[in-house]
Amino acid sequence: MSAEPSELRDSARKVLAGQGVPAGEAATWPLVVELGWLLVAVPEELGGLGEGLAAACALYRELGASLAAAPYLPAMLAVEAVCHAAPGERHYWVELLTTGGFAGAPLAEAVLSATPHGAGKTKLTGLASAVPSADKAGHIVVWTSDDDCVALVPLDRSGVAVERRPTWDATRRLFDVRLGDVELDDSFVLARGAAAQALRRRLSTHRDFALAADSVGGAAALLDRTVEYLLTRRQFGRPLAMFQALKHRCADLKVLTEAAEALLLDGLARLGEAGGAVAAERLGQQAKSFATMAYSKVAEEALQLHGGIGMTSEHSCHLFLKRALLNVQLGRSNDRCDLDVAAGTLGEDI
Amino acid sequence: MTLDGSSEPLRAAVRAWLAQHVPSGWRGAMTGTDQECFVQAQREWFSKLVEAGYATPHWPAGWPGGGRSLGEQKIIFEEVARADAPRLILFFVALYHAACTLIEWGTAEQKAAYLPRILKGEIWCQGFSEPNAGSDLASVRTRAERRGDRYVVNGQKIWSTMAQYADRCLLLTRTGKSDPPQGGLTYLLLDMRTKGVTVRPISQITRDDEFAEIFFDDAEVPIQDRVGEEGEGWAVAQSTLSSERGLTLVEMSQRMRYALPRIGAALRDRGCFDDAALRLEVGRLTAKVNAACALADRYLLRRISGEEVLGDASVVKLCYSRTLRDFVSLGLRIGGLESQYDRGFMRGAPHETGNWIVDFMNSYNWSIAGGSDEIQRNIIAERLLRMPREPRTWQVPAERS
Repeated sequence: MSAEPSELRDSARKVLAGQGVPAGEAATWPLVVELGWLLVAVPEELGGLGEGLAAACALYRELGASLAAAPYLPAMLAVEAVCHAAPGERHYWVELLTTGGFAGAPLAEAVLSATPHGAGKTKLTGLASAVPSADKAGHIVVWTSDDDCVALVPLDRSGVAVERRPTWDATRRLFDVRLGDVELDDSFVLARGAAAQALRRRLSTHRDFALAADSVGGAAALLDRTVEYLLTRRQFGRPLAMFQALKHRCADLKVLTEAAEALLLDGLARLGEAGGAVAAERLGQQAKSFATMAYSKVAEEALQLHGGIGMTSEHSCHLFLKRALLNVQLGRSNDRCDLDVAAGTLGEDI
Repeated sequence: MTLDGSSEPLRAAVRAWLAQHVPSGWRGAMTGTDQECFVQAQREWFSKLVEAGYATPHWPAGWPGGGRSLGEQKIIFEEVARADAPRLILFFVALYHAACTLIEWGTAEQKAAYLPRILKGEIWCQGFSEPNAGSDLASVRTRAERRGDRYVVNGQKIWSTMAQYADRCLLLTRTGKSDPPQGGLTYLLLDMRTKGVTVRPISQITRDDEFAEIFFDDAEVPIQDRVGEEGEGWAVAQSTLSSERGLTLVEMSQRMRYALPRIGAALRDRGCFDDAALRLEVGRLTAKVNAACALADRYLLRRISGEEVLGDASVVKLCYSRTLRDFVSLGLRIGGLESQYDRGFMRGAPHETGNWIVDFMNSYNWSIAGGSDEIQRNIIAERLLRMPREPRTWQVPAERS
C-alpha cells in the first residue's frame, strides 16, 4: 500500500519537466490553476477531487523538485480553511479560490490577536510573516496566537500593510502582512474557540507535511544532479564518482533522503488512524523537522561536492541550498517540532 | 501498516498466542545468566514456536504453519516485536539460512534428511567469514579437496554465531582457483562432530561469546552433503544471505520503536526528565526511529510487490544500524556515569535493554556483521546511484616492496 498517488505524481512530473528548474511563478501558477491542483484535497461535496493531503503532497514534492515559485502551498492552506467557512459561504469561497482568485497564508507562526468590536465585528492586530506572493493575493488566512480565531482577511482593508521581504531564496517571494486594528465582519471569521483550534491544527499539519514533501522532492532532485555531476567531472584521470570518499557521502545522503521520504509517506498513511488531532499534528511535525533537516544536509553537501562551480550563481546548486535553508525556518521551528514529538514519546500528549 | 483487511485475523491470533506464551520476566532471567541457561531457555522458546507453527511460516505448505505469504510472515515478525518476545538467536541460522538454502538448492534427499532435524531443534551455524575474507567474502580460502566420494576440508572460519552449540555448519569452501574469485567456491553441509573440526569461542568486548572460530584439519564431508554443483557455491551462498528477506530488519526496527519508552525511563531515573537539551534529542531520535521503521516496512512491501531493486536492502540496513547507534548513544549520554558501572549483560535480547554501555557495544553487531556499513555504502553508491567501482588492482608501491 502506498500513500502516494503515483499517477498524479507522474503527470505532474511530466508537466513540470517543460518548465525547467527553477520553474518560474508566472508560468507555474496558471498551470496549478488550470490543472485543477487546487482541488485535489477539497472534499467531493464541495466540488473537489477529495484525494486528501497525500495527493497534495505528491504535488508539493514535484513542485519542490522543480524549485517551483508558484504559491501553491499558501493557496492550498486558504482553500482548506474556506472549506470550513459557514455552510452558506463555503461553495462561494471554494469556487473563487480554486479558479484563480488567489488567497494566501503565512508560512510562519503569526503573532496576532483578535478582539470583538461591536456587534458582529472583530478587530485583528498583529503581524503575519512569510506570506508568499502576497502582492497577488486578494485575501490571506490567518489564525490568532491563542488559537481562538481563524479568519480570512481581505488585503484591501484599511489597516493592512503589505511589505516585501527579499530573501536569499530566489524561488519564492515573501511578504510581511501587518494588521493594525483591521475591522472584519464576522462573516470573514472561519472558526472560533474549539473549532478554531481544530482548524488551526489541520492547517499546521497540512503546512508541515507540505514543507516535508517540498523538501523530499528537492533533496532527491539535488542528489540526482550531484551524482550526475560527479559522473561527468574528471580529475586525476577518472570520474569523481569513482572515489570512495565521495561515494560514501552520496550513499549517506541517499539513505537520509529515502528515510525522509519513507517517514513522510508513512506519516500520511497514518493520518487517518492517528488517535486525534494532536497525534496527527505530531506526525506532521516529525515529517517536517526530519525532511527539512535532510534537505539542508543534502544541499550543504551538494555544494561541497560540486566544488567551485557550486559557488557560482549560474549553477542551480545554490538555489536548492537557499530553498532548503528557508524550508527549515518556515512553519514552526524544528526545535519546537522536536520538543513536541518528544512530548509524545515521553507520554505527555493527551 | 497491513496489506489488506484479510490479514487481521492472523494478527489477532498471533497477538493472542504471544500474550499467553512469551515467557514472563525473560529479560530478568537472562541477565547475568550463563550460556547454558540461555541455551535451555532458547530451546524451550523454540519448541513453543514450532508447536504453534510460528517458527516456520516461511517453509512450504505441509510443514508446521508453513506456506505463509511474505505479508503474513511480516505480521508474525511485527507481533513478535510488539510482544517483546525473546529473539530466537540460537535457531535462526537453522530456520532461515539453512532451511531456505535447502528449500531452494537442496536435493530431495537433503531436504528429507535435514529439514525435519531442524524442526526437532538441531542447531546450525554459518561458516562463511574467514580471518582474511570478511567484507571481501569471495576471497575465502578454506579448501575442500575432492577425494573419491568425500571432500577433505582444511582451513579456518570465524564469526560463526553460536558455533560452539551447533550440530551442523553451512560451509563455504574453495574447490578451485578462479578469476573472478566468486567462481571456484563450493557449498557444503558439515557435521560439527566430524573428526578434525575444532571450535573455539571468541570472547567479545561484552564478555559474551556469541561467536566462535572453527578450525578444519582434514575434516571429511560426504559428497552427498554438497549443495549445488561444485563451483556453484557463490550462488548458493547468496540464497543463504538473502534468506530472511528483510523480515529481521522489520522486526529489529520495530523493536527499537517499542524500546523508545526506555529512553523516557532513563530520563526519569537520572532526574533529567525536563532537560530541554535531552528532550530535543529524544524528539530527533523518535523521528529517526520512525523513519527507520517506515523504510523497513516499505522495503518489505516492495519485495512483496516485486518492485525491489538491488541496493534497496542496503539502504534499510544502513539506516537501521546508524539509527541504532544514535539510540544507544543517547541512552549512554542520559545514563551518565551510572551507565559505566558493570551490571553484567542480558542474553538473547535486542539491542536496547537500557544497560546502555552493553547496548552500545552490541550495536556494532549491526554496523559490522552482515555486510558492514562501509560495504552497504559501496552497494548503495554502485547499485542505486550508479557510481562506478574503484579500480580493483593495486600494486605495492615500488619503494616499499
